[in-house]
Amino acid sequence: MTKIIEAEGLTKIYKGKVKAVDHISFSVEEGEIFGFLGPNGAGKTTTIKMLNTLASITEGRASVAGHDVSKEPGAIRDSIGVVPQELTADDELKGVENLMLTARLHHVSGNDARKRTQELLKLVDLEQAADRKVRTYSGGMRRRLQLAMGLVHMPKVLFLDEPTLGLDIQTRKKMWDYIGKLNRERGLTVFMTTHYLEEADSLCNRIAIIDKGVIKISGSPSTLKEKVGGDILTLELSENAGDLTEFFRGIPDVSDVTKTDQTYRIKLPKTERALPVIVEGIVKKNVQIKEISFTKRTLDQVFLEVTGKSMRDEDASESDSFLQNVMMERAR
Amino acid sequence: MIDETIALSARALKKWVRNPAAVLPGLFTSIFYLVLFGNSFNPTNLFTAGLSGTLPASVIAQIKQSILQNAFGGAPTYITYLTAGVICLILVFNMAFGGIDLVLDRQLGYLNTLLTSPIPRAAIYFSGVVQNLVKVMALALLTFLIALVIPDGLVLPSGFGPLNFIGIFAAFALLGFGLSCVFTALALSVRSIDSLVAIVNFLTLPLIFMSNALFPSTSFPDWLKAIASVNPISTTNEAARLLIVNGTLSSSQLSSFAGDMLYLIFVAAALTVLGYLAARRALKAE
Repeated sequence: MTKIIEAEGLTKIYKGKVKAVDHISFSVEEGEIFGFLGPNGAGKTTTIKMLNTLASITEGRASVAGHDVSKEPGAIRDSIGVVPQELTADDELKGVENLMLTARLHHVSGNDARKRTQELLKLVDLEQAADRKVRTYSGGMRRRLQLAMGLVHMPKVLFLDEPTLGLDIQTRKKMWDYIGKLNRERGLTVFMTTHYLEEADSLCNRIAIIDKGVIKISGSPSTLKEKVGGDILTLELSENAGDLTEFFRGIPDVSDVTKTDQTYRIKLPKTERALPVIVEGIVKKNVQIKEISFTKRTLDQVFLEVTGKSMRDEDASESDSFLQNVMMERAR
Repeated sequence: MIDETIALSARALKKWVRNPAAVLPGLFTSIFYLVLFGNSFNPTNLFTAGLSGTLPASVIAQIKQSILQNAFGGAPTYITYLTAGVICLILVFNMAFGGIDLVLDRQLGYLNTLLTSPIPRAAIYFSGVVQNLVKVMALALLTFLIALVIPDGLVLPSGFGPLNFIGIFAAFALLGFGLSCVFTALALSVRSIDSLVAIVNFLTLPLIFMSNALFPSTSFPDWLKAIASVNPISTTNEAARLLIVNGTLSSSQLSSFAGDMLYLIFVAAALTVLGYLAARRALKAE
């Protein structure tokens, strides 16, 4: 496996004071889907902008597809595909015209361009709508077209900035299918940002949780959940049980136990190993279970533990209301 | 770079052609200036108003003729004089507000997709210049036609031929190119439509009023005359009016026309370079 994106001490300070990204280091392997997960304003988009040559690097260095981002911006632009957060396909042009224009701007022309355009339209299921103006597209169709536009020159790395922003859950899942398929069938490396936990969880091979410009933790979603979080087992036991806190704590794969009246909240990093031991213990002690419930660990839990706040509490940024309005208009 | 410039200009113009209503506001401005301004501020009527009872009609007609002869370079009607000025005004206003499309491209993220594509930065600038120029020159042509068909409008001399027409529009195109460079660079440099509109409002009216677009500069105070004499809008009008009023040029008129065109070429070239430098700065990584 070769590293296709490498960042070392990457830092962006806007106007000499706003530290948007603060000495982050990470690498992405070829063929991987790597996700930056974090709330709005965490520094995700700024990181993408630095890797895409849109923002200058204040400190540190980064390379993409073997080229230094600061020194060889032209080579970077040749080898990357970018699908921005904004829906930038032209309303007044047809779907196919948008693709052909993007191809031409990437120096793909003539038959090659026509062939690839047709292939991509098929890939994202827009063949039927190819000759319609983008104005008439739904939000999901625009996102799909946008995805195709990022691929028309067969980039080595595809950058996706919030690829499903503003889509409903079904359309979102459809987008995940397309991205997953591209990755599996073409071995395309994808660097994406998202603030949807489910998206990071189901799509990414590895993620980095970023907050206030700093990477808090990184790894595969399952490793992170294992390392930081844990499933939560809640047990309400009969009165005759006594205090079993110490017993539960003594089980090797239990990481934390809290007790309120006769209800125990037990955190399990490795449920499959801990659960039989817990059940066996309870049965041996002749204690009755009055109620039992189980919560599977989530990335939100991981996020909560590493950043101290829940992703779900984050409000949407109101910084650019004009853009937001246009985006909402287009996403409809 | 040329292919990208053409591709990007074509994109903008395709959108423009598909939305023909987009030329209407500009067209109305032309009509209002030619018909309403041209008639209400017509100096030949303005200065002879109130004379009708005191002087015979033939004398009044003579006075009108003399005003046109002495102040308006011998144009047969005021609107004949005004047409070139209104076309300049159309160029300035529509070039200035044409930049809104480019600001929208930035705000909607389109510019960023161009900046992450392997296209020269100069192509982004020049496509802005070209698209603006083509749109506004089409409007200039329509304005010329409107002036021809309105009553008491543009009256062309007997010797007027295709060469005159080409010469007139070459002058307008040079001015238009220079203006397009300035306003494209400006539009690429600002971050919001509000600031573009503020700057444009501050620039456009002085540019027009400090020129001979609407009235001859001979009656201006000295300081204004000095500014008007170097204003390329004045030069464009002088060149265009020579051909509109005279048809066939005498050798001295021809050399004055050639001098005007050289000055316009120089200004257009200088603004191209300055605009490019400003645009390059505006398109640098943030």
